[in-house]
Amino acid sequence: MIGNRTFLTAQNPKYKNINQSEKMHISEGVLSAPVLATGAALAIVGISVGLKEMDNEKIPQVAVLSSVFFVASLIHVPIGPSSVHLILNGINGLLLGWLCFPSILVALALQAILFQFGGITVLGVNTVTMALPGVICYFVFGKLVRQQNRLISLAAAFACGFFSVLLSGILVAVALLSTGESFISAAKLILLAHIPVMIIEGIITLFCVAFLKRVKPELFGGVYGKGS
Amino acid sequence: MEKGHKIQFYLIIIYFASVLVAFNNPPALAHKVMIFAWVEGDTVFTESKFSGGKRAINAQVLVYDRDGRQLLEGKTDKKGNFSFKIPKLTDLKIVLNAAMGHKAEWTVPESQIREAGGAAKGKNPVETIKHADVGLSKEEIKELIEESLDRKLRPIERMMAEQQFKGPSVTEIIGGIGYIFGLMGVAIYFKNRGKK
Repeated sequence: MIGNRTFLTAQNPKYKNINQSEKMHISEGVLSAPVLATGAALAIVGISVGLKEMDNEKIPQVAVLSSVFFVASLIHVPIGPSSVHLILNGINGLLLGWLCFPSILVALALQAILFQFGGITVLGVNTVTMALPGVICYFVFGKLVRQQNRLISLAAAFACGFFSVLLSGILVAVALLSTGESFISAAKLILLAHIPVMIIEGIITLFCVAFLKRVKPELFGGVYGKGS
Repeated sequence: MEKGHKIQFYLIIIYFASVLVAFNNPPALAHKVMIFAWVEGDTVFTESKFSGGKRAINAQVLVYDRDGRQLLEGKTDKKGNFSFKIPKLTDLKIVLNAAMGHKAEWTVPESQIREAGGAAKGKNPVETIKHADVGLSKEEIKELIEESLDRKLRPIERMMAEQQFKGPSVTEIIGGIGYIFGLMGVAIYFKNRGKK
C-alpha cells in the first residue's frame, strides 16, 4: 500500500507551485532549460569576477561568510502557511563585494547536496538570485556604510539587509515567470512572506556593521579590501 | 596582520552564535506539520506532528469523503492523536489544520479500509478466511499475505513518513561547514603554490 498516500511535501507535484512561491530556493524541475542556462551563465560571470578579486587574505573571510550563509538558511521563521528563513545575502555582499558570488555558490551547492534545498541544475539561478542583490547592495550602500557619520552608516546597513532580500524576491519572481506563474502574483506572495525577513535581516546587518566598525574599522574605511 | 586575525576571530564568534540560535530554538525550526493515519479494525487512528518531533496539540482534524463532503471533525489530544470510527466506506481524506495556517493531509484509500475489515458493508476478508474449510485458494493466500505484510510494514511506513519530515541533522550541518573550510584550505593551497 506504500505509494498510495498523499504526502504534503515539496515532492508532491500538486503542491510544488504553492510551496515554490514562498521560497527563495527554487527547487529542481520547476524552471525551463533556457532559464536554467541563463542563470548558470550569469552565475559564471559573477563567479569569475569574484575569483579575480580573491587573494590569500580574502579566502578565509569568504569561507566564514559562506558558512554563515549556509547556516542562516536553517533558521526558520514560521509565517502564514509556510515558513521563511534568513538569507543574509546583504551582509555577505557588503563585506565581500563580488566575492559573494563564490561564497554563496559554495554554500548553495552544499545545501543542495546535503539537504536537497534547491538543486544542482538550479544552482546557477539560485546563486544569481541571492548573490546579485548582495553585489548591487555593495555598490549602492557600500559607500554610505563606510561614512564616518554613525547615523547614515547604520541606516545604510539596515537598508542593505532590507533591500538585498527584496531584490532577491523580485529576482525569484522573474525566474518563475517561465513557469507560467504571473509575475505580479508570484512577486506578491514572495515579498509578502519575506517582509518580516527583510526587517530582521536589516536589523542583523545593522548590528553586524555597528560591531565590525568598532572592532575593525579598517574594514569599512577607504578602498574595500585594503584593510589590514 | 594582528588585526586581520582578530576580525576573523570575531566573525567566527558571530557565526557560532548563529549556529547556537539555530539549534536552541526548536519551535522556530518546526515549520512543517504532518499527519499520519492508519486503520485498525473499524477505527482510524491519526497522529500529528511538527517536523522535529513536536506533537501537534489541540489541532483541528477534518475528515472528508471522496467527493469532498465533510464527514466529521475533531481535535487532537495532548499526544497529538485523534481517532474516529469509520463513518462510511469511501476514500477518507484527513486534513489537519494546525495553528498559523499549517496544514497537512493524508488519504486512507477505500481498499485499505476494506482490508482492515472496517466498514460494516465491506466483506470482511478475515472472516472469509476463518470459514474457509481446508484448502485455501490462491486468492485467499494472496489476501492473507497482503494483509499480514500490511500490518508488519505499517510501522516502517510510519518511520519513513516521519523521516521525510525531519530537517537537516546536526551532523550534516557540521559536515557542510567542514566542507566549506576544507575548500578554503584547498583554495589557499593553490593560491600559494601559484605565487612561488
